[in-house]
Amino acid sequence: MATEWNQAGEDSAAGTDEISATAITSEPPTTAGWEQAAVAMNSVLQLSIPMLMKMEFDAHDPLFIDFRYRAFAWSTPLSAFPEDAVLAGLQTQPTDLEAGLLFDLPGQPLDGLLWLIGLNSFHGARAPWLAPNERYKLSRWPNLTQHRHTMRQMQMLAVLGNAYVSAGELADMAGVDNSEAQSLINALSLLRILNRSVQAPAAVVAAPQATKRESLFSRLRARLGR
Amino acid sequence: MGAGKTTAIQAVSEIDVVSTEASNSERHLVDKPTTTVALDYGEILVDGEEKIRLYGIPGQRRFDFMWAILKRRAQGMVLLVNNDAPDPVAEMLAYLDDFRELYDRGGVVVGISRSDIAPEPDLATYADAIALAHAGKVVPVFTVDPRNNDDMRMVLLALIANIEMRALFATVERDAI
Repeated sequence: MATEWNQAGEDSAAGTDEISATAITSEPPTTAGWEQAAVAMNSVLQLSIPMLMKMEFDAHDPLFIDFRYRAFAWSTPLSAFPEDAVLAGLQTQPTDLEAGLLFDLPGQPLDGLLWLIGLNSFHGARAPWLAPNERYKLSRWPNLTQHRHTMRQMQMLAVLGNAYVSAGELADMAGVDNSEAQSLINALSLLRILNRSVQAPAAVVAAPQATKRESLFSRLRARLGR
Repeated sequence: MGAGKTTAIQAVSEIDVVSTEASNSERHLVDKPTTTVALDYGEILVDGEEKIRLYGIPGQRRFDFMWAILKRRAQGMVLLVNNDAPDPVAEMLAYLDDFRELYDRGGVVVGISRSDIAPEPDLATYADAIALAHAGKVVPVFTVDPRNNDDMRMVLLALIANIEMRALFATVERDAI
C-alpha cells in the first residue's frame, strides 16, 4: 500500500495526523494478527539502525514507531491491545539522529508494545527468527510493573532467570502448555532480553520434595489474590 | 535513604507498620523531615500458620550492624534504589556486595523508585552493571512506585518465585559436589 509520509521536520509539535514520509518499504495488506509486525520489528531491532515505522489497521488509528528513541505513538491504549488487529499496511523508513521527530517525545515506551506483540504473534509457535534446537536464559527480567502478566509467566521468568532451557523444558518445569512457554520466549526475544544457546546443556532441576504443603509462592499468590 | 522502603512496607503489610523514625540529620542530602533509624516492621499472613515478616532497614552504613543480623535470618531482600540519587547504580552494586549471601541464593530483587522523575539510568543500565559485576546471575530489576500496592506485591512474588527456583537448581549443584 503506497502512502506518502511528510517528514515532521524540526517542529516537534506536529501531530500524528500530519506525519508522512516517503515510503522506502511497504507491505501488502495482510490478515489478522501481529506476525508481520513482529517480523518487521525484529528485523529493525537486529539491524540496530535509526528507523521509523508506520503500521495501519482496519479498525484503529495508525501506529508510529521511532526506534531512535525506543518509543511509539498510538491512540489505542495498550490496556485495550487488539490481539486480532487486521494490519492493512506497514512501512519503514531509515532515518538519522538529526532528523525531525515523528511524534512528540517521550511517546510511549516501546517495550510495552514489544511485549504484547511478542506474546500475541505466531499463535504459540516458534517465532521464525528463533532456531529449533536452542535453549534460552534471561539476560534481564522484563519490567513487570509495566507489563500486564500472569503468575504462570512470572514462574517461567524465574526459571529462565536461573537456567538455560528450551521451550519444551520450560513448559515442563512451569507446568504450562508448550504454546504458552513459546509465546513468552517469542516476546522476550523480541524485547532483546534473552540469551540463546545451542551448546548449553539441559538444566538439571531437583525433583520436588514430597511435602504436604504447597510452595510459599503458591500460598502467597493465593493470599494476594493473584 | 529516601527510596521509599517505609512506604513500600506499608503498601503490602496486613498489620499497621511499626516504624521507628527520628529527625533526619541529613536534610541537605535527602529532603524529608524524618528517616528510619532502626526498623520498620510489617507482616503478611500467608495462611493460618505462617507469616512473612517484613523488615525495612536503614540504608546508611552506620546501621550495618543491623544488616548482619538480618542477613543471617532473612530469606530475601527487596533493594529499593532511588533513581535520582547521585550514583544509584554504584549504590546498588555496593549493597549487592554487602548482601552477597542473599544474592547468591536468588534472594534479591531491585526496585527502582522515582524513575518517573529521573528516567536515567534505565533498567538496561542496571542489568548491564549487574552482569559485569556478577556474571551468570540474573537479578530481577523493576521500576516501582513504593506507594502502589500492586507494584510491591508483584515485587514480593517475584522475589519468592526467584528464591524457590534458584533453590531447585542449587540443590542439584550442591549434591553434585
